Amino acid sequence: MVPFKRVLVYLDGSEDSVMAAMAAIALAKRLDATLTAMYVVNTRALQDLVKARIFLDIEEQEYRRDIEGDALRYLNHVQEMGLQKGVEVTPVKASGTVHTEVRNYLQEHTIDLLVLGGISEIHSRRDELLSETDRMMRTAPCPVLVVRDNDAIWDMFESLPNVKPEAENDTY
Amino acid sequence: MTLTDVLEKDLVKVPLQATTKNEIIEELVDVLVKARRLHNREEILAAVLAREALGSTGLADGVAVPHAKTAAVTSVSVVMGITPKPIDFDAQDGKGSQFFFLVLAPEKESSAYIEVLVSIARATSSPVMRRLLASARSSDDVMRFFMD
Repeated sequence: MVPFKRVLVYLDGSEDSVMAAMAAIALAKRLDATLTAMYVVNTRALQDLVKARIFLDIEEQEYRRDIEGDALRYLNHVQEMGLQKGVEVTPVKASGTVHTEVRNYLQEHTIDLLVLGGISEIHSRRDELLSETDRMMRTAPCPVLVVRDNDAIWDMFESLPNVKPEAENDTY
Repeated sequence: MTLTDVLEKDLVKVPLQATTKNEIIEELVDVLVKARRLHNREEILAAVLAREALGSTGLADGVAVPHAKTAAVTSVSVVMGITPKPIDFDAQDGKGSQFFFLVLAPEKESSAYIEVLVSIARATSSPVMRRLLASARSSDDVMRFFMD
């Protein structure tokens, strides 16, 4: 058996990343592994947009606040999902260049499995059109699990017994 | 998410007919409204013009990226258009603009919105890409340049 003992799931505010978190919780439960959920506020992108003068300073500040809020909401949501299934999820919020922050965290904390959702189809061979999720997959120093089949993941997650009742109005 | 995840052929118009800044924005909005059968043209237009009033989204090198957050769309949407000749869009380098990317996003998709905007900035910073776009004669050409 592959000894995955430290699993990290990356959240980006998309439904696909929440589905990846469900898969990661199920996996952590089965493997008795630790689970970290990470959200990186893409401040590099915000800075690039100001530098390119696509964003005004006021927009940069507004979007930074929005994304900081998203990060907390999604991390809390995944922590709650983990609690329901008896899996402790360690939330990590960082900021910077997404794939660089994730790669550094994976290395520094000797994570042995990265779980991702939302890898898009290959539309272009141009490097500048690669998404952050694609970059993460290509630069991760550990094995990567890409979650695709939402129905199967949903069933796998739901089949785990609840150890805590589902929170009412648990929205993210 | 990047530009190529949301760019679709029916949201690309080559050539754009308009010759002034406001007409260009209206023409781009109309492409989206027609293609997606939306009923909130004025709401979208108002959001884009309100952002434009804060400062022009005409960048350097003929590229302009008018954009706004609006509840009128349910996902990040991009409309791309090219004018036959550069037009005055109050660009930061004082030159005319020829390549237009209208980017709209609902409130809850800030991360995806930013990633799409950054991918447009990166792709159009390439002189080769700008030369290719300048040679485009149809939406098929544009799709090929981005998707190949």
